Amino acid sequence: MSGRGFPGIRPVALVVASLAASGPASDVAGQEYQVDLGQENRVRFVSDAPLEDFEGVTHRIDGFLFLSGEGLGGETDLATSEFFFEVDLASLDTGIGLRNRHMRNNYLETEEFPFTSFAGRVTSLEGDGPGSYRIVTRGTLAIHGIEREREIQCTAVSREARLRVRCAFQVTLSDHDVPIPKLMFMKIDEVMELDLDFFLSRTSGERERGSSLPEPEWRKD
Amino acid sequence: MKPKARRWASAQVLALVGLLLFLTPLSGQEEPRQWERRTAATKPPLTVFHSTQAINLPTAETLAQGEWQFEIAHRFQPAISEGADSFWGLDGPVNMRLGLGYAPLERLLVTLGRSNFMDNWDLQAKARLLELEAGPLPVLVALQGGAAWSSEVPERDSGDPGNFQYYGQLIVNTEIADRLALGFVPSYLYNVLLDRMDPVQDLYWGFYGQLFLTDIFSVNAEWSLGENRAELGHDAGAFGLELETGGHFFKVFVTNSVRLNPSQYLVGTDHAFEPDEWRLGFAITRLLHF
Repeated sequence: MSGRGFPGIRPVALVVASLAASGPASDVAGQEYQVDLGQENRVRFVSDAPLEDFEGVTHRIDGFLFLSGEGLGGETDLATSEFFFEVDLASLDTGIGLRNRHMRNNYLETEEFPFTSFAGRVTSLEGDGPGSYRIVTRGTLAIHGIEREREIQCTAVSREARLRVRCAFQVTLSDHDVPIPKLMFMKIDEVMELDLDFFLSRTSGERERGSSLPEPEWRKD
Repeated sequence: MKPKARRWASAQVLALVGLLLFLTPLSGQEEPRQWERRTAATKPPLTVFHSTQAINLPTAETLAQGEWQFEIAHRFQPAISEGADSFWGLDGPVNMRLGLGYAPLERLLVTLGRSNFMDNWDLQAKARLLELEAGPLPVLVALQGGAAWSSEVPERDSGDPGNFQYYGQLIVNTEIADRLALGFVPSYLYNVLLDRMDPVQDLYWGFYGQLFLTDIFSVNAEWSLGENRAELGHDAGAFGLELETGGHFFKVFVTNSVRLNPSQYLVGTDHAFEPDEWRLGFAITRLLHF
């Protein structure tokens, strides 16, 4: 038998290999987490103003985290992982309705750019104690129709089938062509601190998927 | 390997290939699933006028739920035409109004105001009833009703029933080309003239407009038309500038009326709307959130 092997195996192996190659190249199995819309998710921005800090809050964040392979606590292929979130900008509340309207109409122009989004890959995923992880993501942050490559650092704490994710980063308004707001004629700091605090729930089971990162709406036109 | 065993192995492999051939086209045809948004973008409330009032007349604008609004307004009694002697009217005396508004609900505003003219207290409620965006012109409709009590009417006890007035105002606002806002306010007032023994009621027709020059500067004008002006023989008019910031409105204007509260300015004025009779006035509002 040696030297001959299974006479039918070689062509079959070629067929199987070609079939496997014919599927979507990016399809991978893994764990997917979606933002749990029923939780107290919160996105907050804070900017230094001459008289008082200027801040806005919304609870309307949506998105997902996809980790290929075994996911959290296991072998994960970061190259095919995905992290995406988007924030409904028209829902930002600064505490004063008139100021909200100024922010929507004069600065963020939410009729044209209703969402801000981040779409990227996980570049680092490290354990940070039992059930805790440090996540570094790299991707495209889109605000006001202007996209910038950014690295965003987050922490995630796992509890049952849910992850609590916290991310903090800065946004320079001029990077995204957003005029610098004024309060009583005094300009506020153009660097905004952003804090994201949201919950992800594991979707049911593992499944095959390809790249699902959505494009910003203005790019689809 | 015996021929029988070899045939059996080949049959197993072929069965596996058949299974793969059956399954693979299904997965191969499936498009990569893309993430889909689960909730639509927030739709902000329709806005035409930015402030809750034009100069004297109300707009259909209310406050966000839980928000407060403090206001202070002056009407300088001397005419601007008196010149430097009265510092163009700014020396006073003045009629002034203080007001505090609160929005217990989205689209509902309750305001308590007081004017030093006859010590007039005014409690009013304004509700936005209709917001239409269909068609080229947005339309907002609101209803305002209120009661006023003048506690210092000459030769009357402060609690005399004749010192109370009641009013209702229908407010219709629209906007042209995102720059020019227009308003129409038919008003009803019960007990028009406080010095009469028998209450008189009347209707008034208010008109106003505001042209937004920039994001924060605008010019505005208003006119309150009455048909039966027996004693106060002139309609009240005003025009001026408005500046808005994140939480304030500043309004500076000239007017022929020195009356501030609704039950007072609706009835008219002693002064004709002529440059010699124009007076200065201002109003400042501040939005508060606790």
